[in-house]
Order: sequence, then structure tokens, then C-alpha cells
Amino acid sequence: MPTLTPNEIEARAADWLAQRDSGHWGASDVTALDAWLAADTRHRVAFLRLQASWAQSDRLQALGAGWSHAGPPPRGYWHAAPADRRAQMLLALRPARASHRPTPRSRGQRLVRAIAMAGCCALLLSWSWRNYTHVDVATYRTAIGEVRTQSLLDGSQATMASNSRIDVRLARTQRDVSLVRGETIFAVAKDPQRPFAVAVGGYRAVAVGTRFSVRRDRDDLRVVVTEGTVRLDAPHTDGQTSPSSLLPAGSVALVHDGSVLVRSMALSEAKQLLDWRDGWLVFRDTPLQDAVAEFNRYNTRQLRIADADVAHLRIGGSFRWDNQDAFVRLLEAGFPVRASTHAGEIVLRSR
Amino acid sequence: MHQAPLDHWFVTQILTHEAALLRYLHRHWPHPDEVLDLRQEVYARVYEAAAKATLTQPKAFLFTSARHLMTDRLRRSKVVSIEPMGDFDPSHVLVEEVSPERWCGGRQSLKWLAAAFDQLPDRCREVVWLRRVEELSQKEVAKRLGISEKTVEKHIAKGMRLLADALSAGDPVRPPTASIAGAADAHPYAE
Repeated sequence: MPTLTPNEIEARAADWLAQRDSGHWGASDVTALDAWLAADTRHRVAFLRLQASWAQSDRLQALGAGWSHAGPPPRGYWHAAPADRRAQMLLALRPARASHRPTPRSRGQRLVRAIAMAGCCALLLSWSWRNYTHVDVATYRTAIGEVRTQSLLDGSQATMASNSRIDVRLARTQRDVSLVRGETIFAVAKDPQRPFAVAVGGYRAVAVGTRFSVRRDRDDLRVVVTEGTVRLDAPHTDGQTSPSSLLPAGSVALVHDGSVLVRSMALSEAKQLLDWRDGWLVFRDTPLQDAVAEFNRYNTRQLRIADADVAHLRIGGSFRWDNQDAFVRLLEAGFPVRASTHAGEIVLRSR
Repeated sequence: MHQAPLDHWFVTQILTHEAALLRYLHRHWPHPDEVLDLRQEVYARVYEAAAKATLTQPKAFLFTSARHLMTDRLRRSKVVSIEPMGDFDPSHVLVEEVSPERWCGGRQSLKWLAAAFDQLPDRCREVVWLRRVEELSQKEVAKRLGISEKTVEKHIAKGMRLLADALSAGDPVRPPTASIAGAADAHPYAE
């Protein structure tokens, strides 16, 4: 084999990758590619390099999450402020005006045609406007102690934790969910034309087709991504474009006091944060006051901590959230804690 | 090392420094048209070395290999270059913080990707979008655009090369509104 220039090697590597991507790819192609890669390390490194950057490009999907028109957005779209983006989107949705030259006709003929056309247009417009602007609105709530999986009209699933409320608006170009309180896991039905956004206090978690949960504690927000990628848009303040963070699977984003903290953890660990769905609360070296707050989200009978010593005990383990009694008994058995029941609440104090 | 872990190591530990490597080569090699060749050669050397032994400091090894390669080439060339070559010592590159962030995620990488994507020629940009974002197969892309499958495959191959180059070309084209960077910096991030 004659030695190829770097350029030729790279072109050949790209051809291999593009062919493999095309679906026309058989066993003999695999063998031929392997032979080519083994022939020269320069072949292999060029191949790896293109493969890696091509794999990166699937994150274009995250960029496309706000774009609902077929085909790519115009150049410079992502460098524009969100308001300009909306204008660009509307511009793209407008059909291109065909240039035409009227043929000379009698005035009457033209008038009749024009009236007929106007009538047709009005009919068509009102019909398509109704379709175009049709929005399904629904509100779903769970009571304290209730965990429920709700199917949304677009095929997505929302698994709602205890004492949660979501407002859902499904429009033609956009699926908007507002998490009013509590926590919900979303398994989003894939629809690149209609991004799925969950809004909490000005923040928006935007997904294309993925699985993630959003939780709200007053103004604090937690997003856990267990599949796919979610883009978290911060609220935009006057004159400033909003910064976005990209959250791949295994990310946990915490929003507190207007700042965003992103942690990436093992997927299994991130999934544990969502174990409430199956009836479990999982704690790992968690201060008792946090664990108690967690239990209280799920039970009408509240636990109350009476002193700081108890509050700062650290506990770990998996507990059924519907079995508060077992949790309290375990605390009494394993820690210097005494529990007593007063007027519908369980008070925990140190012994 | 076996092939698959070695490939993975190469992608995550070596390729992530491509922008810095290119800057280093451009700074010290007087013939810009040879930089691509140098880059490929350095990559091949590093890959072969890693196949034989575990490299504990991949980044340092990458830049040392680049320096050795340049020295070798200089010795072999009959013509002595009169252009100032500077110091090959890569130590100043190593202290300079070059984040592999663009490959590994983060908000910055999305901006890079957007800039890289925007630099593709029209048809190529359209094909890449349909294939990667709307997730049509090459066949479906061909049907949608009314072009042959072979042409789609060619656009994909071209897109791959252009995206790879754009992603490693160093700083992306600065967006006209500078406030994006400013606003993003207001938010602390942690790994």
C-alpha cells in the first residue's frame, strides 16, 4: 500500500465512518475496516479522532431542543438572544413568498378571483389557526402519601411524588410543564418538533426525549437526569441572555439562591435519588433533620425534632416512606433517641 | 492495554488536548502546512507507546513526543531553517490550563459545537442536522432532500472532518453579544 498523505488518510477514515453510518455495512466491510486500521497506526488515530468528534455532535440535539421547525435553524441562531431566536423561528415558519407576475385580465375577472381566493383563505386560515393554536391544558395533583404515574396526552409519563402538583400545556410546537410543588419524574415521549420543558421559578429544564426528575423546595430546585440529556436554562434578567447548562445522564443540578451547582455521579447513584417511586427513601450519611423532612413530604402525621443533638445525628439506609413507625422504632433502637406522640405528631428528642 | 480501553484512553486523555497541541505545533514549527502531518505523527507515536506501556502522565507525554518529533525532523532536514524556532520546551504549555471541557461536556462545549456546526457549508449543515438531530437515517435524509444516498454519505464524511477541525481550532468565533459569557460566569459550577 503506498503511503498516504495525512489528508488522504483522514478522508479515507471519514469515508469508512460515513459508510458505516449509512447502514450499508456487512461482515466483509468490518473485516476490511479492521485490516485498514491495523495496517498503520496513523490510520487508527485519524479514525478515532473523527469518530470521537462525530460522537460529540449528537449533542446538537440539546441545541435543537428549542427549535421546532424542520431542518436546521439559520446560522448564528444560538448566538442570538432568546427574544431574537423567537423572531427567527417565526420567520422560518412563514412560507417563502413566491414571486409571480399577474397576467393581464379583465378587471371583473380579477375581482371575482380575488373574492373567491379571499374566502378560501379565510376558511383555511380559521381552520388551520384552530389546529395550530390548539392547546391541551391539564392540572394534576397528588395527595400527601400518594405516588402516582400519570400519562400525559403526548405519551409522556409523569410519576408524581407525594403532595405534588403539575400544570401541563401541550401545544403544537411546545410542551410546557410547570412544577408548582413537590417532585415529579418525567419519562418524555420523543418528539424533536416539540421540546418538553419543565419550568420552576423561571428556570427551565428542556428535554427532547429522555428521563429526568424535577423537584421543588420553595425556590430551590433539583434536577436529576437518568437518561438522555437535559438542558437547564436559567431565567433571563433584563438585557442579559440566560446561561444554559447541559446535563447528561447521571447529572444532578441543584439551584439555590440563583446559582446552579452541577454534580455528575454514577448513574446508579443518581437513580437512587428517585427510589421514592418504588416506595423507598434512601439515605446515605444524611443528617436526621433532612431525613425527617423527607419523611414529612410523604406523611400527614409529621415527625418533629425537638433538639439539635437529634437533628445532627447522621443516618443511612433504605426505608419505606409509608412505614413511618418502622423508621421511628429503628431510630429508637439504634440511636439515643426517644419518640413520643403529641397531638398527631411524633416528637423526637435525645435520651 | 487491549484495543478498546486503549482507544478510549486515547480519546479521553490525548485527543482532548488537540487545541493546545495545535497551538504548540503552530508556535514552534515554521511551516503551517506541515502541522497536520506532525499532529498525525505525534498521535501515532503516542498511541504506539501507550500500547506497550501504561503512561501515567498522558498530557506531558503528548507534548514531549511533539517536541521530540520536531527535533527529529529538524535534524533530518538538509536545509537549516533560518526562521526563529523558539524554545521547544513544552513546560509553559503544561501550566497553561487547557480544559478538555469541550469534549467532556459543560456549557462551554455547546457553544463550541454551535459555532462549529454553523461553519459547515449549507447542504452539509442540513444533512448533518437531519441525521444527528432529527435522527433520520442516511436513506431518509436522501429522500427528504431529493439527493442520492451516495451524496448524503459524502456530506456526512465531509461534515465529520469539518466538525473535528472546527472543534479543535481553538477559541470559537466570539458571538456578537458578549453578555453570554458574562452571565454564564456568574454561576458557580462544580464537578
